[in-house]
Amino acid sequence: MSGFDNFNTEFYQSSYSVDDQNQAGYGYSNENQYNNQYGQYDYSQQMGYPSPGMMPHQQPYTGQIFQPTQTYTPSSSQSMYGSSFDDEPPLLEELGINFDHIWQKTLTVLHPLKVADGSIMNETDLAGPMVFCLAFGATLLLAGKIQFGYVYGISAIGCLGMYCLLNLMSMTGVSFGCVASVLGYCLLPMIVLSSFGVLFSLQGLMGIILTAAIIGWCSLSASKIFISALAMDGQQLLVAYPCALLYGVFALISVF
Amino acid sequence: MLFDDTSTSAMSAQGSYYTPGYNVAGPPTDARGGVNNLFSDPMANAAVMYGSSLANQGKDMVNKEISRFMSVNKLKYFFAVDTRYVLKKLMILMFPYTHQDWEVRYHRDTPLTPRQDVNAPDLYIPTMAFITYILLAGTALGIQKRFSPEVLGLCASTALAWVLIEVLVMLLTLYLLTVHSDLSAFDLVAYSGYKYVGMIFSVLCGLLFGSDGYFAALAWSSCALMFFIVRSLKMKILTSLASDSISTGSGARPQVRMYITVAAAIFQPLIIYWLTSHLVR
Repeated sequence: MSGFDNFNTEFYQSSYSVDDQNQAGYGYSNENQYNNQYGQYDYSQQMGYPSPGMMPHQQPYTGQIFQPTQTYTPSSSQSMYGSSFDDEPPLLEELGINFDHIWQKTLTVLHPLKVADGSIMNETDLAGPMVFCLAFGATLLLAGKIQFGYVYGISAIGCLGMYCLLNLMSMTGVSFGCVASVLGYCLLPMIVLSSFGVLFSLQGLMGIILTAAIIGWCSLSASKIFISALAMDGQQLLVAYPCALLYGVFALISVF
Repeated sequence: MLFDDTSTSAMSAQGSYYTPGYNVAGPPTDARGGVNNLFSDPMANAAVMYGSSLANQGKDMVNKEISRFMSVNKLKYFFAVDTRYVLKKLMILMFPYTHQDWEVRYHRDTPLTPRQDVNAPDLYIPTMAFITYILLAGTALGIQKRFSPEVLGLCASTALAWVLIEVLVMLLTLYLLTVHSDLSAFDLVAYSGYKYVGMIFSVLCGLLFGSDGYFAALAWSSCALMFFIVRSLKMKILTSLASDSISTGSGARPQVRMYITVAAAIFQPLIIYWLTSHLVR
């Protein structure tokens, strides 16, 4: 908790400056100083609210903190808001959502025959798979099948099974998040299938051929990503087969 | 300004004290450390670390328990397969009569991995065949309108139980009759799991071609499997002959070993019929 220590030292350092200064003047002349104190106030405000017992030094400062609301001046507020807005890191970067990588991974799924780059799977990203799972459930809902529970249950069991199998088959291991992320991304073609199922019935010959093609597409993409990320050679079809079984179960849900 | 921020998001001011600090308290203190800067609030940070340490503890405990019963490295040997091996092995399982050399090759006392030796047993095919069998049973029951999750679970656990029984009986027999072979438990599970390939073939033919197709496929895969088991186990059980004759001859006689091998082979078609007939009515 190095961040915690940083805050701790800052807290002790600037506590005296808070005491010394007037409520109205927070030393905005120096931006750095402002930031320190600003951060200080934020920290103490946050810490004071959830657990007063944790930082006993909070008690004398809370009174000072809440006082400045009355001395709030709109003119300086704009300058304050302006400088804080410039200083903040991009929200998406802080949340860890990298749209470029998400788009790259989606493109990798959509082109099953193109060779994949193994390094894109280095960060575990569960935002995309979550969206795809919900979209799949939504298209099933449009067709009148309320089966979110089955989707989640099957994806959990399938992810667990693939995690065990890939750990046993590959030289390097995989993390569970990576497996879940890849399997979730490759669910995208299945959404196409279930949206077809809303419009046409999938139980004829055309439906069977389409289902088989989509299952093949999903499992080829998933196995291609796994192979390139884990550097397994000569095992693509072996990885594709359990993926095909998993996506086959999803297809069963969409069709029947 | 601090309060300007909270008032702009006044709707969430009561709940989220983290937003203003989230934006501003980060930069002055430390560099963009990526995920570590995700929660500038130490409380959330502490919660995340506690949660992840709990997950790690759970994972370590699971690993310790599993490694008490079986070594993962030995298990990895059985999964070191590639596509070429799997295809050749499936060919041998369905048509073993033209395969010449049944000897498992060694490399300085350790058996070669399945990648390098097509006679080595593996666990990938039995596992995949088992799961495919369960899904196929579900489909067959669904086609006959007899599907329900309970029946599927019953089917799966019956098959698993029979595999366990067969492996335990083989182990017990080999131990009681003092047959010294290098067949480990995983080897026996592998050989016992190869029958699922025959089962899948029979059920598929039964679904596609009706009852006649089922019995034809059953006969074909039973013969092939019996041949395969006899040839493979003969290599492993009977080759310890030389060492036993050097000792006081307290090992089992060759006839007993032959009986064991043949009994294991006869068992296969019986169990295939038992587990698949109710799927193809």
